Amino acid sequence: MPTDKSPVMVEMRNVYKYFGQLKALDNVSLDVRDGEKLVLIGPSGSGKSTLLRSINQLEKIDRGHIIVDGVDISDPETDINKVREEIGMVFQSFNVFPHKTVLENISLAQVVVRKRSKKEASEISRELLNKVGIIEKADKYPEKLSGGQQQRVAIARALAMKPKIMLFDEPTSALDPEMIGEVLEVMIKLAKEGITMIVVTHEMGFAREVADRIIFMDYGAIIEEGTPEHFFKNPIEERTKIFLNQIL
Amino acid sequence: MAKIADTDKPKRIVIDVGDGAAIPSKEDVGLFTAWRVAFTGAIAIVAYLTIFNPDPYWKILKFLPDGILVTFQVTIAAIIVSLVIGLFTGLGRISKNRILNGIASLYVEVIRGIPLLVQLFYIYFALGRIINVPAMASAIIAMSVCYGAYMGEIFRAGIESIPKGQMEAARSLGMTSAQAMRHVILPQAIKTILPPIGNEFVALLKDSSLVSILAVSDLLRRGREFAAESFNYFETYTMVALVYLIITLFLSKLISIMVDRVGANR
Repeated sequence: MPTDKSPVMVEMRNVYKYFGQLKALDNVSLDVRDGEKLVLIGPSGSGKSTLLRSINQLEKIDRGHIIVDGVDISDPETDINKVREEIGMVFQSFNVFPHKTVLENISLAQVVVRKRSKKEASEISRELLNKVGIIEKADKYPEKLSGGQQQRVAIARALAMKPKIMLFDEPTSALDPEMIGEVLEVMIKLAKEGITMIVVTHEMGFAREVADRIIFMDYGAIIEEGTPEHFFKNPIEERTKIFLNQIL
Repeated sequence: MAKIADTDKPKRIVIDVGDGAAIPSKEDVGLFTAWRVAFTGAIAIVAYLTIFNPDPYWKILKFLPDGILVTFQVTIAAIIVSLVIGLFTGLGRISKNRILNGIASLYVEVIRGIPLLVQLFYIYFALGRIINVPAMASAIIAMSVCYGAYMGEIFRAGIESIPKGQMEAARSLGMTSAQAMRHVILPQAIKTILPPIGNEFVALLKDSSLVSILAVSDLLRRGREFAAESFNYFETYTMVALVYLIITLFLSKLISIMVDRVGANR
């Protein structure tokens, strides 16, 4: 459980991001502490995915600062690849590499980026496949796997870099309902290990169980934040109430 | 684990044609494909002509191999160089760097707007007044520069056909864009790229006949030389055409086998 004394892992200061005329992020400021589990909710187009993607600079912000583990990534001098090594990301559409086996998917970046030997990487990959429960698929190609299994491969692939922060961008939204559970299970297990997690999701059950804090966004701005308790018992803002009524 | 069964089903949709099976399956017509008819036909005609009319046909056939070799040399060299040019042009065309992108785009537009024959003349005769490039080198340079532009567009389209999420996933793992290109994007793009690239190889082989206007003794030029001496124009060019046809059909078969292999190995 992170406390006020835990170091800040992600710091956003007055961040703006525009897509043409559209304000995707509107003066967002935010601290995420080491070990914190932060869940972002909000209607589609509210900017929560953009916020998440700006943390590893898949989206470049137009104004403001983002400091990840003490490094200002908005500084053009910063080597973003170094920062990204410390930030794992899981996508809605899995984005596993279809031309590589499950094991190779997980090993690739370890060898190419972390410069581990093939043997060492394979060992770590197998360990992680055990952890996400699909070791028997190690030598299969992703197309032979179900969506839930592909997403677990993607999680293992991100974890293989031993990241300090994990970003999840609607990890269960593209899954058939019966497969959501197996992915959430892995995420809950991960949360208990104390890694910093920022999760965009509509799975309120997950948020209730795992989140230290929930942030509700709309029109690119943070509207309300608080504990799951606060959100489920007595949200203050009208927009939050409307949104929660729609999805609960 | 019952869920897996879903994804294990073959993706190919089998259309069941009820009565009479009006549409012949690929296997049934296999024996008489246009390719087989053309290939065996061409070889049969060559065999017939050289056996029953050795004068002049056998003489012509004996005269051509040197030219075939030169045609191969020009074609293979130009394929290799144009592939390299094409790869970098394709990368340039998708680059966010405005200068690189501009150079690549300009190159493609200019080269595609000038006929290959004119480019050959230009490099050999026009530039020949400034620097003396040997005929063979001129031929290879002109073919490579020309085909590099077309291949660049094929590479660009192939790279762009890979979903954006693949690049994002690779970059999110800390790979540089070059690493992501090499390990993630290009190995996938190759499946899309290979068939049209194969067509370019065949087209390049045929267009290599244009280099005969320089002092390069390729297949066509050898034929011209023979015809000019013997006045057997009809016989000579018949043989030349048949030899080109056999080589081209052979190459296109080779490429389609290669394409099948690459498509099947995943």
